[in-house]
Formats: sequence, structure tokens, C-alpha cells
Amino acid sequence: MNKTVLIIGVVIVAVVVFVLFAGLGKDPQHIDSPLIGKPAPPFALKAVGSGETIDLDSLRGKPVVLNFWATWCGPCYEEHPTLVANARVLPNVQFVGVVFNDTEDKIMRFLAERGTAYPTLLDGNGKTAIAYGVGGVPETYFINPSGTIVAKFEGPLTTEALQANLEKAR
Amino acid sequence: MIATLFLLAFLQIKVPDAAQIVGQPQGQPLTGQQLERRTMEISSELRCPVCQGLAIGDSPSIMAANMKAQVRELLERGYTEPQILSYFEKSYGQFVLLKPKFQGVNALVWILPLLALAAGFILVVSKAKKLETAPVKAAAAAEEPTDDPYLARVREMVDKP
Repeated sequence: MNKTVLIIGVVIVAVVVFVLFAGLGKDPQHIDSPLIGKPAPPFALKAVGSGETIDLDSLRGKPVVLNFWATWCGPCYEEHPTLVANARVLPNVQFVGVVFNDTEDKIMRFLAERGTAYPTLLDGNGKTAIAYGVGGVPETYFINPSGTIVAKFEGPLTTEALQANLEKAR
Repeated sequence: MIATLFLLAFLQIKVPDAAQIVGQPQGQPLTGQQLERRTMEISSELRCPVCQGLAIGDSPSIMAANMKAQVRELLERGYTEPQILSYFEKSYGQFVLLKPKFQGVNALVWILPLLALAAGFILVVSKAKKLETAPVKAAAAAEEPTDDPYLARVREMVDKP
């Protein structure tokens, strides 16, 4: 066989194998957020239950844990106790839940059964979720006191992951 | 429908607006069939973030439906295709574009197939040239004198009319 052809073939196969191998351990749902280090998209949404309007701008001054979730999302049931427990012991951190494509009565039932310690806002048509680049629920954004997104966490939060990302937001 | 819109307006005091992200619309507001056609066309260029390689236009997921509704709304307001793609790219990054941009590492997606095609063409042409010259060499080799009695016998048999 022609030596040059053999070398070219080996190089091409090596590159393809490397690219495929590098992608093996990656989560296909993972999206690198271009918003890290950028100002958090502003929003003002009505809180479920109280009807109070929560404006993101009014939360400046302390770290914000912005958690996107929904009652139709299985892993959201799993992470909810972690969020509530941490919100109760971290008064200097503002936790905010944003629920999209859901109904107020279902959210109210969910919160009544599982408890809550922070406002839950309804993002009816998912515009806020789109502006944050939410790829699925649950997904959590960590915003520092000056309103900059410093981290994004995909999937159900654990206390360890919450604390590690909060460190970046302080 | 009106009740739903009213409820949404009531629930959402302020949502992140395209004007804050990509500026004022630079095109003409679309309506009717043109709006539907352009919504489908642009939806076929945006990747559904919760699916495996599906465009938002082809996905039945809630997230894709929301994004498609957003595309339609932006077209109704007069936003152009580059503005709409840029709007989604600002929050999802280049991941959301099914047609990667010709820049950085992504440029390889466009360049490599052309390079492979050119390399294949060169290989075929060079092989074809070799085939053209090969019989001449064989004939030349056949004419070389030999001391081998077996080869001499074979040549004699081949040359015999």
C-alpha cells in the first residue's frame, strides 16, 4: 500500500477517534451558558399565591439563587427539599423560584404539600426561561450582589453544589 | 385566547425584551401566510435545547413550543432573521444554531469537507495518471533480456502467434 495514503488514513482515523472519544463523557443536554459574567436579564414577575411582584432589580445587594422548575419535572421534586432547607438557614441569600409552562393551582398544591421558604414566580410562556438560556428543568442560576450571573447548575441541586456555586456569587 | 393573554399580561409585569438584547426591529412586521412561512423557516434553523439534534420547528417539547412562539412574536414585531438568531444565541450560545457560524473551530465544519473532497480528487487524478503510465513500464520490463530459462520460455509462448 502507498505509504502516504496509509499515513493520511491513520491521521484521519486518529482525529475522528479523538473527537468521538472526547465527546463520550459529555452530557448531550449540557449547554455552556454565554451569560456567565454578564448582567442577569431583568424581569418582574408575579409571585404565586401572594400576587406580589418581584423585580430582579430589587434583589440587588445579596446573592440570588434563581431556580427554574416545574411541577411536571421529576427531578424538581428531588431538589425541592434541598432548596427549602438551605433558604431557611441562609437569610443573606435570596432564593427565587421561577416556574414555566405550569398552572398556579398545581404550583400551589406542590408548595402546600412540600413547603416553601422563598417566592415562586410564574413565567407563563417561558420568556424569562428563554432569556436565561434554560435548556431544561431544574436549572439554577447564581447571581452576585451586583446583578451578574456567575454560575449555572443543570439538574437537581445538592447542598454541596449549592454551597460551591454560592461561593462564586458572594 | 383573550383570557389567556390577559392572564399572562397580569402575571408578567416585565419579561426580558428583545429590544434590550438585540435592539430595535430592523425589518418589516410580518402577518398572515408570510409570517407562518418565515416562522417555520427560522424555527428549522434553531436547535431545541431539550432534544437530541432536533430543530424547534420539529420538536413537540414545551421548550421548543415556547421558542417557536417567541420567533413568531419577533417576526410580527419586524425583527429580521439575523436579529432573531442573534437573540437566541445571546442566551443559548452557538449551540442553538443548527447551521454553525463560519468562525473559530466551527469553521472546520465547513472547511474540512471541502478539503477532504479536494484531497480525494487529487488522489483519484494521481492514481489515474499512474494507471496510464503503468502498461508502458510493464512493456518496457518485458523487453529486458533475461538469463532465466523459465521466463524465456514464457515469453516465447506469449509471443507465439
